[in-house]
Amino acid sequence: MEFTLLWAALTAVTATWAGLRIWDDRLPARADDHLLAATLWGLVVGRLTAMIAQGVNPLTNPAEIIIVRGGVATPAAAATFVAVLVWSTRTLPGAVDAIAPAVLFGLAGWHAGCLWRGACLGTPSDLPWAWALPGSAVTRHPVELFAALGLALAAWLVASLPWRPWLRSGVALVMASGLRLVTDLVRPSLGDAVEWWYFVGVFVGLGAIAIGPLLPPPRQGEPT
Amino acid sequence: MVRRLLALTLVLAACGGASSQSLEGVADLPVTDVAGFEAHLEALERPAVVNVWASWCLPCRSEAPLLDEAYTAFGDRIEFIGVDVQDSQNDAKAFLAEYGLNGFDHYFDSDRSIPNHYLGFGTPITFFFAPGGELIHTHNGVIDERTLALQIDELLNLEG
Repeated sequence: MEFTLLWAALTAVTATWAGLRIWDDRLPARADDHLLAATLWGLVVGRLTAMIAQGVNPLTNPAEIIIVRGGVATPAAAATFVAVLVWSTRTLPGAVDAIAPAVLFGLAGWHAGCLWRGACLGTPSDLPWAWALPGSAVTRHPVELFAALGLALAAWLVASLPWRPWLRSGVALVMASGLRLVTDLVRPSLGDAVEWWYFVGVFVGLGAIAIGPLLPPPRQGEPT
Repeated sequence: MVRRLLALTLVLAACGGASSQSLEGVADLPVTDVAGFEAHLEALERPAVVNVWASWCLPCRSEAPLLDEAYTAFGDRIEFIGVDVQDSQNDAKAFLAEYGLNGFDHYFDSDRSIPNHYLGFGTPITFFFAPGGELIHTHNGVIDERTLALQIDELLNLEG
């Protein structure tokens, strides 16, 4: 059993926790709870989707749901995360915008967790900052650290944007998806296909930025 | 609510596959030991990815599609070998019929002597060997796409 994935997850949680404390302006009450619920739902739906895609029946093999290492369908998990977060904070004006920088910082922590997993490296490179795996002569892009740095900068940028409905969350979605798209160019993979859902993330984010101010404000006071 | 749950149950049940293939006439997996396996690796002119699996191993089912994908992409440049451990021949054949790993050369290692020899821990394990049988990397536990792709790329760069 290897526990490196748990260390990476712990790094992500710690970064999210730190992000909520660094950028705490207009945070809704119990922001941690909203994030935790959205994350857990994302993991469950992403894992179930991956199992079904792999031909594993969740009803006959229910124990496999907890084997997160066996694969989580990222598009399903990310879409569920966003949907649950938006739904659970639907009566709290600007809640998702306030949480967005912490989410980006948490994602940065997840990518930086590659240091525990020994999985930071991408395609071969001769650039001065390229690394090699232990015992290897092939130097490579530290792609996951690029992603971590980019997401941390994105968190800072998003936190400095003005308050306008869905602006911060829209920009956060565009930057998270866009960074995955860009860094994927130097990530090793088993196929050459570009992931379609990165583009979906970019377009949904742009849509949120464009139509956010036109949407009616949330009704306050309803139970969440 | 009950109707929704029933509908969800039916959808999930429909999505999962169930093996109904007959195993009659399917050949047993060849039995091997450490010496035989090492000799096989030494004779290889290409690098090899060796996956240690078992029919009772739940994570092995999860990673099987990924290994199949790797075989499809790199099977012409890399040997893909499966080592079934602590298993029965019938269970092993049923596992392969349901979960794939097609194209792999599979071996049967009932006492787990091969992964023990290479100091692998638990099941599944994925070993990465250079041409000639030198062990380059051991990944204990379920492997993910990035790690598999990175280690395969290392093997291909060794080759080059």
